[in-house]
Amino acid sequence: MKFKKLVREDLDTIKARIAAQRELGTNGVHTRVTVHLGTCGLASGADRVLEAFGRKYAQGHQSGVEIAVSGCIGLCSQEPLVTVECFQMEPCLYARVDQNVVEKICDVHVNTRRVVKEHALMQGLALWEESSAKKQKDLQVPHVSEFAFFSMQQSWVLGNRGLIAPESIEQYIWRDGYRAAAKALQQMSPRQIIEEVKNSGLRGRGGGGFPTGLKWEFCASSPGEIKYVLCNADEGDPGAFMDRSVMEGDPHAVLEGMIIAARAIGVPSGYIYCRAEYPLAVKTLDLAIQNARAYGLLGKDILGSGFDFDLEIYQGAGAFVCGEETALMTSIEGLRGTPRPRPPFPAVSGLWKKPTILNNVETYANIPRIILHGAKKYARWGTESSKGTKVFALTGKVDNIGLVEVPMGTTLGKIIFDIGGGIPGGKKFKAAQLGGPSGGCLPVEHLNTPTDYEAIIKAGAIMGSGGLIVMDEDTCMVDMARFFMDFCKDESCGKCTPCRVGTRRMLAILERICEGQGREGDIELLEDLAASIKDTALCGLGQTAPNPVLSTIRYFRDEYEAHIRDKRCPAAVCSKLFKSPCQHACPVGMDIPAYTALVQAGRFDDAYRVLVRTNPFPSVCARVCSHPCQGKCRRGQLDEPLAIRNLKRVVTDFGQKPAYRFQPVVHTENVAVIGSGPSGLTVALEMRKRGYPVTVFESLPEPGGMLRWGIPEYRLPRDVLQAEIRAILNTGIKLRTNVRVGADITFQEICRSYDAVYIAVGAQKSMRLQVEGDQSEGVVGAVELLKAIAMDEKVGIGRRVVVVGGGNSAVDAARSAIRLGAEVVTIVYRRERKDMPALPEEIEAAVEEGIGIVELAAPTRIRHKDGRVSAVELDRMELCEFDRSGRKTPKPIDGQKIILPADMVIAAVSQEAELDFITQSEVGMVGKRIRVDAAQATSQAFIWAGGDVVTGPAMVIDAVSAGQKAARSMDVFLRERKGEPAWIAPREEDISIPRLEGDETVAGLQARMPALQARVRREGFQEVEKGYSRKTARKEAGRCLRCDVEVV
Amino acid sequence: MHTVESDLDLSKTPDVWERVDEVIAKYKDKPGALIPVLEEVQAITGYLPESVQRRVACGLGLALSQVYGVVTFYSYFSMQPRGRHQIRVCMGTACHVRGAKRNLQQIQKILDVEVGGCSCDRTFGLEVVRCLGACGLAPVMVVDEDTHRQVKDAKVGEILEGYRSESSTS
Repeated sequence: MKFKKLVREDLDTIKARIAAQRELGTNGVHTRVTVHLGTCGLASGADRVLEAFGRKYAQGHQSGVEIAVSGCIGLCSQEPLVTVECFQMEPCLYARVDQNVVEKICDVHVNTRRVVKEHALMQGLALWEESSAKKQKDLQVPHVSEFAFFSMQQSWVLGNRGLIAPESIEQYIWRDGYRAAAKALQQMSPRQIIEEVKNSGLRGRGGGGFPTGLKWEFCASSPGEIKYVLCNADEGDPGAFMDRSVMEGDPHAVLEGMIIAARAIGVPSGYIYCRAEYPLAVKTLDLAIQNARAYGLLGKDILGSGFDFDLEIYQGAGAFVCGEETALMTSIEGLRGTPRPRPPFPAVSGLWKKPTILNNVETYANIPRIILHGAKKYARWGTESSKGTKVFALTGKVDNIGLVEVPMGTTLGKIIFDIGGGIPGGKKFKAAQLGGPSGGCLPVEHLNTPTDYEAIIKAGAIMGSGGLIVMDEDTCMVDMARFFMDFCKDESCGKCTPCRVGTRRMLAILERICEGQGREGDIELLEDLAASIKDTALCGLGQTAPNPVLSTIRYFRDEYEAHIRDKRCPAAVCSKLFKSPCQHACPVGMDIPAYTALVQAGRFDDAYRVLVRTNPFPSVCARVCSHPCQGKCRRGQLDEPLAIRNLKRVVTDFGQKPAYRFQPVVHTENVAVIGSGPSGLTVALEMRKRGYPVTVFESLPEPGGMLRWGIPEYRLPRDVLQAEIRAILNTGIKLRTNVRVGADITFQEICRSYDAVYIAVGAQKSMRLQVEGDQSEGVVGAVELLKAIAMDEKVGIGRRVVVVGGGNSAVDAARSAIRLGAEVVTIVYRRERKDMPALPEEIEAAVEEGIGIVELAAPTRIRHKDGRVSAVELDRMELCEFDRSGRKTPKPIDGQKIILPADMVIAAVSQEAELDFITQSEVGMVGKRIRVDAAQATSQAFIWAGGDVVTGPAMVIDAVSAGQKAARSMDVFLRERKGEPAWIAPREEDISIPRLEGDETVAGLQARMPALQARVRREGFQEVEKGYSRKTARKEAGRCLRCDVEVV
Repeated sequence: MHTVESDLDLSKTPDVWERVDEVIAKYKDKPGALIPVLEEVQAITGYLPESVQRRVACGLGLALSQVYGVVTFYSYFSMQPRGRHQIRVCMGTACHVRGAKRNLQQIQKILDVEVGGCSCDRTFGLEVVRCLGACGLAPVMVVDEDTHRQVKDAKVGEILEGYRSESSTS
């Protein structure tokens, strides 16, 4: 087909024609259904959705429904996406559309003009602009202005997203397409174009950030008749897909940008170098070029201006290094794509040795709007040195995966948490990777970093082309560094030695570390090699290849050290270091796959024997452990993690508790343990097993520490705890209750009479609220209250109770208060509920029992009448920038106060130890905590410490783990003194662990824990969780994927 | 690895050579045409064994060493035949973070095939690719033209089975 060559006026005509065609309510069309077809949409079945709509409305305009297509709208994780626009109704975006949803959209939305709420994501267009037209809205579906993913973005490069069909040049013209080219060609001199681009502050979006206008100026002033304009569409950084989306969705923007560049420099021809992995982009661009030629927008005498320019696509063949500018040019010349040394720079001598400019897709796509709307409009966004907007490809462990265009300078935290919706599954943010294999990982403390070229470099990464990969606590940073190094090694072109050999050497070291063969000095060796490669490699790929390693060493050195020294992978990723992730995540390394398999086989007695091998408190942990194992369970990636804690409970409910094997006293050295909590009793048991006489000092009438006095009975029944402690004491441990060290016996006396001492006094004193009135009558500490209840003292509980704090103690105190007859119990927390450190299931249970939670509020004053509490004054808080824990810092909102009437206030903000019996000179201390080394040893040779007194309030299982480490170290210390060989643990009895029964695992979600009804619970302290039945347990155990078993 | 017929048999496939020659003729006088020629030729022959490389070298008047150099440099070109169904596992960062490695191990276990190789019966070929740019769907694996989104290792077997039954019925 031959078209008439366009002149400037034709652009107006086409624009008006398309606008009229698109007007709903005219031409007999009342509804337009737009299916968004990008690569991600197609991969999710958008083509089938399009066909389904096509079948429905085969009659086309007779049905009054127009079917349209557009490119990617940018919310990839919700594909396939469909926009439905009805006459005088807000457009509505539907997510995850399938055949079924198509039917509903047709029946309900199109036919009855009602939004299908359950599938609607939002109303309004993704490119939302305030419009005055009143349109019919559904109040239950969020409007785009309330939909953070789109409303917080700033569209510029993506300014046509979701609106135009990529193959239609006329729709591009409708969106003011090619007007900038017309302006540049007819009204501006090359000099003016370059000035405009320079004034806009636009910098190369491919990663380097070189000022675009300056680059053009250099090339324009280079002597030579023949020059080239190149577009780098070899988007090779893993995790980056901005350019693909632009090419697939708005190809003419790239062409128009190149035409303007060609005019500025005076060039008749150009190439787009596009990677072969993007077939749809190549196809779309190809069609766009043909259409542009047909309309006279490429070729001779463009828009009647007398200017000639044409271009063609050159398909890359899969070599990452070809993203480097000189390598890309070598590749177009038909050779191996190896880089050339610079200078000479391409602006002087580039493709075929002619002056050449190379910009990437996003850079070119910025140009038409800059020329059309002026540099000023563009430069109003951004920071001092980085102007305009930037498109990021947000991927990895984040809720809203997709393309995000924001003004430069927007903080990483805002992109990840506000626009991206944060980390899925309640996991913790660990790092953001920017800049691909040349970039770096930025940790939590850099969430407030603005996306500005210089600020990101300062933080240790690079802007790169815009790939932003979010990593959570399940990502191993050493493995990540290994991954990038493997990438660079593979993609090294081999021309220069530092890159070819250096990347191999670094990879070998990283692999060694990941496999548990790391050596002391490896980190330093990596740093040395990195420095040499950076200094001596020929091109950008080599010079930046060590960056991911350097940035992970800089911020996550402890993870490298854990791999090298302890042969541990804290994220449970490096599989050579462990049998199964759950076991690796457990502080005491419980053999979870083994007892799970035994539960499945119904062998509860054997399972119990497995439990006590590593954990002296299995029935306690079965009830109160915060189960880090479940967070790493691989089943969790499929549906829900295995209910490991509940399975442990079943074993202790139905299995026969095995007695501990211990030997008679064979050593003369006496061991003293101060404190009979989980950590102290663990040391006592372990030292008894090794044949030492042990004495435990306890200031209260019964042993158990926080387990006895801090955890309410409805979570941990007293008889269960007592049975567990009795079994430990039965190994021949001497327990002296009601003996307070410092009062009844001095610490110095203990030191004189015992050869080794373990301090595990816990953290049993609530910290004060530190606000006016916190000493009034009716203000109590959470642990003091819980202790009084556990002592069976008569506790006067208030009618209206306010609990301040968000940890487990706060929830325990609140739930106890409601059981003791309080009418209104309210937990006040300064951040959001999701940030509360208490176990989520405990918070859930508290809410069920009728406890209120006031988020984002902090007490400023306790009001009192005649010395008695009457109310709590709270400041309303808002969340501001991110703190070092990756949570937003709460700050009071001026003038917004809440008054909660109260006659009792429970302080549960934190606890500290009572350490008045020792002094700083006897053991090293930090504040109210004792400082210890990795073996729990203090600065004093014969004194160890562990549990909350070292860590502050922490998990039971951490305290047990500390006790086990201390006992090992203590035993070695005592034996070395005598010149005795190390202790060899008696051989464990063999328990055969069943392999997989069949190869199918049980489908379905976690079995729910049967529990008392909330109404019954409030009446007393009866245990809430009832435990699984044998049958439920065996089924639940069958959900285990048996990561420990190698499939052969 | 399994030995498979590693070169094209000229006598069995005369029309293939004709089509190859057409491609060469189309680009003959264009500077820097080698890579587009190889791309189009590979689309015809499936892979680029020595005989094909010789033909291209002769046709374009280049040294065989230059052709070989380019073929071995770019990952898009293969000197090995591929399986009837080509599996491409994306190992880009986003996919890596979301469990691509486990998927790959699972495929290798099920098919007993190495990366870059073919299964015994040549039903499946397996390769690892660097970021397909479909990070929003990570982890991704592509079988032939089908992109499988958010693949979990436990589901890999099911996906492969779909293709196996497809090829046994056809």
